[in-house]
Amino acid sequence: MDIKEKAEIAKNTAKVAGAFCLVISLLLILNFWQMHSSDPLESDVLETLVERLSLEPGNQELINQIRELDLLARKAYFTSLWQVRTGGYLLLFASIILIISLRIHSSLLSRIEKPDEEDEDIVLGRALSRKWILGGTAIMVLVALAAAFSVSDPLKEYMAAIDEPAEETIERISISDAEPTPAPAPDEDSVEEEAGEVEVQADERPEQPVAATPATARFPNEAAIRQNHNAFRGPWGNGVIYHTSIPMEWDGESGNNIRWKVKVPVHAFSSPVIWGDRLFLTGADETRRVVFCFNRHSGNILWEEEASNIPGSPRELPRTTDDTGLGAPTVTTNGIGVYAIFGTGDVMALDMEGNRIWARNLSVPDNHYGHSSSLLTHNEKLFVQYDTRDGGRIICLNVANGETIWDITRESGISWASPILANIDGNMQLVVNGIPIVAGYNIENGNELWSVQAMGGEVGPSPAYGGGLVYAANEYARLVAIDPGNGEVIWEDNYYLPEVASPVYSDGLLFISTTYAVFACFDAQTGEFLWDYDTDDIFYSSPLVANGHVYVTDTGGKTYIFRVGREPQLVATNSIGEEVYTIPAFADGRIYIRGEEYLYCIEN
Amino acid sequence: MLLLLLSMTISPDINGQQRFPMPEFESGYEYPDVSTPEPRSLTLEYIDVIVLLAMLSVTSWLVIKKRSRRYILWLSVGALLYFGFWKNGCVCSVGSVQNMVLSLSDSSYAVSYAIIAFFTLPLLFSLGFGRVFCASVCPLGVIQDLVIVKPVKVPVWVRKSLGMFPFVYLALAVLYAATGTDFIICRYDPFVGIFRMGAEFHLIVLGIAFLLIGMFVARPYCRFVCPFGALLKITSLFSKHHMSITPAQCIKCKLCKDSCPFDAIEQPTPDKAVSELKGKTGKFILYAAIIPLLMFVGGWALSSSHVFLAKAHPDVYLAHLLIEQPEVMNDLDNLDVQTFLGSDRTLDSLVQDAETVQAGFYTGAWLTGAFIGLVAGFFLVSQYIIRRRTDYEPHRGDCYSCGRCFKYCPVEK
Repeated sequence: MDIKEKAEIAKNTAKVAGAFCLVISLLLILNFWQMHSSDPLESDVLETLVERLSLEPGNQELINQIRELDLLARKAYFTSLWQVRTGGYLLLFASIILIISLRIHSSLLSRIEKPDEEDEDIVLGRALSRKWILGGTAIMVLVALAAAFSVSDPLKEYMAAIDEPAEETIERISISDAEPTPAPAPDEDSVEEEAGEVEVQADERPEQPVAATPATARFPNEAAIRQNHNAFRGPWGNGVIYHTSIPMEWDGESGNNIRWKVKVPVHAFSSPVIWGDRLFLTGADETRRVVFCFNRHSGNILWEEEASNIPGSPRELPRTTDDTGLGAPTVTTNGIGVYAIFGTGDVMALDMEGNRIWARNLSVPDNHYGHSSSLLTHNEKLFVQYDTRDGGRIICLNVANGETIWDITRESGISWASPILANIDGNMQLVVNGIPIVAGYNIENGNELWSVQAMGGEVGPSPAYGGGLVYAANEYARLVAIDPGNGEVIWEDNYYLPEVASPVYSDGLLFISTTYAVFACFDAQTGEFLWDYDTDDIFYSSPLVANGHVYVTDTGGKTYIFRVGREPQLVATNSIGEEVYTIPAFADGRIYIRGEEYLYCIEN
Repeated sequence: MLLLLLSMTISPDINGQQRFPMPEFESGYEYPDVSTPEPRSLTLEYIDVIVLLAMLSVTSWLVIKKRSRRYILWLSVGALLYFGFWKNGCVCSVGSVQNMVLSLSDSSYAVSYAIIAFFTLPLLFSLGFGRVFCASVCPLGVIQDLVIVKPVKVPVWVRKSLGMFPFVYLALAVLYAATGTDFIICRYDPFVGIFRMGAEFHLIVLGIAFLLIGMFVARPYCRFVCPFGALLKITSLFSKHHMSITPAQCIKCKLCKDSCPFDAIEQPTPDKAVSELKGKTGKFILYAAIIPLLMFVGGWALSSSHVFLAKAHPDVYLAHLLIEQPEVMNDLDNLDVQTFLGSDRTLDSLVQDAETVQAGFYTGAWLTGAFIGLVAGFFLVSQYIIRRRTDYEPHRGDCYSCGRCFKYCPVEK
């Protein structure tokens, strides 16, 4: 066999290998396209069946059908994968044959050529090289500079913000004697709600000079607080409602049992609170931060007051995320005043008629989502959980004039939880969830009474108290039951953990609502998991306990009403017809729900 | 099309993994590792070093004494199978630079004797016999060598200007390794995906692109990218027993002139060129004098972009992300963020760590930029240096000792 024949064979082999490569390539393209155009896990049929299953959880036939379809889809996918992989090997093999054939063909026909007489022009080559080396260097410099200008350094700004000293300024407005205002009934349907009173001398603290303290303030007693919904998650922030007549059925779309609904003028994620006939909530956007007061019987706005012209308030609004904003904290009231805080760090006290009592800025909270911790009041004190990137802090202000009663820093980081008040062994404690500690504080001086390092991640859920134990939980951490007497962890679990919504205690049971659409119940004393219930949507709104039932609203606006018990007993589900991220406020015979757009009054 | 297809077909394992989360078996089934090689036992590491040493020694003998291209070729196929496909391309001498640098900058990081051997042996052999490692031991070089079909001559100015890039790449690799950021040489190794039959899509594309280009531009990665090649180039320049084209006296027949696919054969220096370059002594001095300026500009420019460079570090990247886009904390699919949130670290401590890394990058970028400026200066100055050469000789820095030119020389011993 001469060289030409060998070269011919090599050429033909190369042709066959090339054609084979082409055919395999076309098949692979087809297979690749098929693989990417139909995703077995996102098949419409499968999704429809899964949706049906959520409505019929016990349908065994449906479960088998889904399993079969899923298996089929996976088989099809992995068969395709095998085909592509085998095709890949074949293509690689054919490519090697092609290259070898080409090389043989090329080497058989190659011969040592007669070299050029002309040699390379070294001088010209070097001159060109210098230009290109210089050009290449210049390009590298330009690329480096372009890279420098393409990014900013947020770390510097962040560290600078941390290092900035906190500025606190107070605007003091004198007020005269103030009393809890049951608020005169604006219409006939008003519900009489007695607001009991206890006398407290506001100037009992000589070490904290007060600029404009009312001579005597009458603060509501326990019975009065129970009759109202004066804070985030109800009285003392604990999620327990004391009314006995609560609506069980409504429908926002048809208007069934909806007494009224009104559009809230400015959106925010704060929840409504109630005192007497008045309902308060806030709104916040880029232009204004407002407290609204509604007549809770008619839905009419009685007054609104903007948080403006507050010394120390930032000229430039702090950056917040859309799911928090500047109006996430809920106001609190004691029937004398309404107290609001916004994501700007502005705290404002208004009387029940909307007149400003005082306002101050606590320094802009360094919070990447936005400040969301709600206020809580007890007698002359207003508690602010101010956990920011600068560290954990709790501030106690005088409701009369806004002056600081005490201000403690604590060994904790940023959190979004709200404090609760718990009567433990006859003394009121401020119980706070944060990272990493769950702790109880003496409300008189802010001294830490106990603390447990139990939390991790970004703490949003507030604590709960009941049955002599404090309960705290957070996603990526754990659910703990703590004895506040000695700070001992009685039990802990991490099976179901909330991310935003807070736990609630009732009758020896603890309820958890999660951001993966599960509502769960535990034995509050032992931590034994009792039952769970899959819901349509996830929970941002915390559950509340009222009249032997737990009310919990998912983000889709559906409220699930369970009977408090060791078995799951879903009594009713009612939809409001729009998304809900806030916590309902309860009054006798009524529920008030703030949706994304509207405020609803529900009445059976 | 071939490029696209091979990319698509070699990567489906990866797609498969992404589309199907790994199920949790209770039967004790263990997952095969599809893209990362298992750590090798100590014995195997020693065997690797022995094989490396043996191959380097045999190649040196084949190149210097035996002068056999055929044996070099077969040895290189063996090296490709052993170091490439069987050893999955790791650890290789090319990437070992980073291990060495990191061990010097971070006292808590230890390198094995095998890595030290993989780093030093090729350099030592190049000081003795030229780039014999590139000839038939390095799997990255061999795979490119085997696909050369019809090499074209690359103009000298392209070779010289692109020849700077391996030094730039080396400097950046050292910067990233010294700051504990990443082993970029390994991350962007274009052939490792082929050796392992699975890698990220872009790496497969890159590898196949290099091979396709390599059919016509011989060994493009070795010549214009390889950072270890930059070191070997320097050591090889001082090699004691470098191969020669002719086994005896060159008769200047010019037959070997175009035999090298890597354009690494130097022609005898024409008198005209010597006289012309002699008249440019002033420019030589000028360029030599501006080397410090080039170093300063390089250092300044690169240090200005230290924030950009530092974003490759996981802490810096995460800190920037969390500050600039805090809403990402709600993204449950973002594993970096969720892992951070699940850890005990706070954002403050993360930012402080990131700042420390950025500060390290600032200093490192100054040094790296100055080094790049120095390289550019040397490349410029070297254009005015001419060595009087009377024979056709391999360029000691650029020659891969592949032995292709042997058969072109009619002179016998």
